[in-house]
Amino acid sequence: MSTVRQYELIYITPPESTEEALAELHTQVQAVVDRFGGTIEKTENWGRRKLAYEIAGHRDGVYVLEIINGPAALTAELDRRLRVFDIVMRHMVVRVDEELAAAERARVRRKSDMAERRTRRGLPPEPTDQERRRHAEDDDDGDSSMDQMFRGGDR
Amino acid sequence: MSDMGGRGGRSHSDRDKDKDKDKDKAGRRGFFRRRRVCKFCVEKIDYINYKDVRLLAPFIPERGKIQPRRISGVCATHQRALQTAIKRARQIALVPYVTD
Repeated sequence: MSTVRQYELIYITPPESTEEALAELHTQVQAVVDRFGGTIEKTENWGRRKLAYEIAGHRDGVYVLEIINGPAALTAELDRRLRVFDIVMRHMVVRVDEELAAAERARVRRKSDMAERRTRRGLPPEPTDQERRRHAEDDDDGDSSMDQMFRGGDR
Repeated sequence: MSDMGGRGGRSHSDRDKDKDKDKDKAGRRGFFRRRRVCKFCVEKIDYINYKDVRLLAPFIPERGKIQPRRISGVCATHQRALQTAIKRARQIALVPYVTD
């Protein structure tokens, strides 16, 4: 039993590709995943989107995102298989479990730090609704001016 | 160099007081200088998602290059994450490599 990791697979097909072709492709992916004992957690069809640059003569493409749990060997096979399909213009497999775990750790740490600071100041560990509302208002101010700063740029 | 030192040496309360002044006014020496804030630290964004084009867009100027952090003010940790995210987004054509 190899370690199960989480991957995100994104592939782009030409805009004129049919529902059946997409379904066929999905079953192919599913077959590979099954063979390696993985699972598809979620499938998201983003539909037709504009490409940032031209790929294989197309300016648009249909994006499909699949979140897959499975062993590392799976990605190599998936990569190999997807390269063969003509209908797939571009694909990418990214490992996400570690990054998501790191983000979750950061979130938990920030929360516990805040609770600690607040108890030290003799406040309840969680902000009350009233405080939260006030902060939301403050944040809005900060955000809008921030947005301006970023949009303004230096050039 | 000298004004870098000036900024670093300033105490917390000073900085808060000067917040508005620093934000969009030209510095003492006449060139543009604003308060450095990391967008991701301020908004507490832990995971820079490469699929979120609207999050990445402010850091990709016209030309399509990744904005250096000396301009955007992003902290080193988040710039690294941002860099990875932009490069991934480029691979799947969400964001351009170059635009002329």
